[in-house]
Amino acid sequence: MSRDTQHVLLALLGGALLRIAADGTYLRYVRPDHRWLLITAGVAMVVLAVVGIVADRRGDGHRDHGEHDHGGAERRAPWLLLAPVLVLALVAPPALGADAVARSPGAVVRDADVFAPLPPGDAPALPVAEFVQRAAWDSTGSLDGREVSLTGFVVRHGAATELARMSIACCAADARPHRVRLAGDLPALPADTWIRVRGVLQGGSATTATGYVPAMTVTGVEVVAAPPDPYEY
Amino acid sequence: MTTTAVPRPRVTSLHVFCVVLVLAILARPLVTDALSAPVLRTAATVFVAVCVQALPFLVLGVLLSGAIAAFVSPAALRRALPARPAAAVPVAGVAGLVLPGCECASVPVARRLIGQGVPDAAALAFLLAAPAVNPIVLVATAVAFPGEPRMVAARFVGSLATACVTGWLWQRVGRAEWIAARARRAAPTATGRNRWAVLAETARHDLVAAGGFLVLGALAAATLAVLVPPRWMAALAGQLLLAIAVMAVLAVALALCSEADAFVAASLSMLPLLPRLVFLVVGPAVDVKLIALQAGTFGRAFALRFAPVTFAVAVLCAVGAGVLVLGGVR
Repeated sequence: MSRDTQHVLLALLGGALLRIAADGTYLRYVRPDHRWLLITAGVAMVVLAVVGIVADRRGDGHRDHGEHDHGGAERRAPWLLLAPVLVLALVAPPALGADAVARSPGAVVRDADVFAPLPPGDAPALPVAEFVQRAAWDSTGSLDGREVSLTGFVVRHGAATELARMSIACCAADARPHRVRLAGDLPALPADTWIRVRGVLQGGSATTATGYVPAMTVTGVEVVAAPPDPYEY
Repeated sequence: MTTTAVPRPRVTSLHVFCVVLVLAILARPLVTDALSAPVLRTAATVFVAVCVQALPFLVLGVLLSGAIAAFVSPAALRRALPARPAAAVPVAGVAGLVLPGCECASVPVARRLIGQGVPDAAALAFLLAAPAVNPIVLVATAVAFPGEPRMVAARFVGSLATACVTGWLWQRVGRAEWIAARARRAAPTATGRNRWAVLAETARHDLVAAGGFLVLGALAAATLAVLVPPRWMAALAGQLLLAIAVMAVLAVALALCSEADAFVAASLSMLPLLPRLVFLVVGPAVDVKLIALQAGTFGRAFALRFAPVTFAVAVLCAVGAGVLVLGGVR
């Protein structure tokens, strides 16, 4: 691969990182606080490409360096940099959904024993992960009889319908699902539909036997747009 | 680009590049159709996620590599390290404490250290230690295992031991010719204003060379992520040796960032701590993404020998650290 092509590729890849950082697409793949990392890396790539082009035009670079010094795989490997550029530009794959939930071994970690009281008000919104934690381990019974609202996507589990939300620590490769079984009068919802449900925890439903997947008696369901940040952190 | 005086038609990589772009745009409906299969969509998301997560750290690594080439002379590096390679190995390993990144950043830096004349064994110890023992990774481990502070100590001991033992092994039995000659080529000598040009050219070259292999590793990780059967875990609960073996293989296959793997290990709460510690020690030392990066940077002959040795050493060191620090299987 010639140095010119390498520079074009680097600039495109840096541009792709800057674009997904600017339009929010990056939230499908990494944590929100990776944004400045992506911007820094994107700018650095574009700068390196431009510096390379300028140096070559002035003739003080090593013009034929890239063409001759590597053999075989080492010379062809840079072409692979085109793969993420094309995948991002042409399809920009969506955030992980129901298929990834089904693939995860997903056990629930006990994060805390002591929970603050629920926020006041009618059906406060809770993160799905926190709802599952409270359902499994809260000894103060903060969820007993309280209506709460959860936002997540639909997962079909046999005949049952579940609401799920992924949480990520770094990027989507380390995503872990949090699931809530929905009971009650539900419309037919295809998998991966984003919904907001209101409902009440069925006491004692999150046990070892259910794999700590709590059940919720649903009092209301509405289909919502996918949130800009699809994961919990 | 042709540099001959008489222009003549010739297929250059830039032409190939343009053809690939046009074909990709034409084939877009086909690609979109293919991604309607949920399994391919999951794999594509994981692929992009690994690339997007790792590229900034690779950029950090190549910039550091460029800075070493431009501003740190081989003589200064020799003065910083003990003269005896056997003593230089642990010093280089502990130096890994200061590189706040995950594994992608350490590969170009280790290559540059070799290029600047640091003994191979010491540079390799740095390569293995840096992603596992830096403060960010240790804090992330502490956060992921709130009730188990000894997990952090066990990870530190296991990873540092892996780096030192592998370094000493390499010093004993490793051969210089296993590392590709291109990894040894020193950057052009830098003086004065020329230093910034050396930094930019070194970083650019390392980034293009290593980036392609990073993408290859991300492809492998995405494929394995959808191929590993999810029921493996549940079957492992009571079988310690099998659990250790499977967790070690998973650490290689999933290629998680070392700053995030503790959270995945924490979520596998059906397993005892020891197999999960093995997962945390093996992952930053050897995984499919790293094997691809190392093959690209140091050559295939190197990766074929280094990866299996590191894997075995890491499993043993993790088990040793687990028994010592965690006080058994738990």
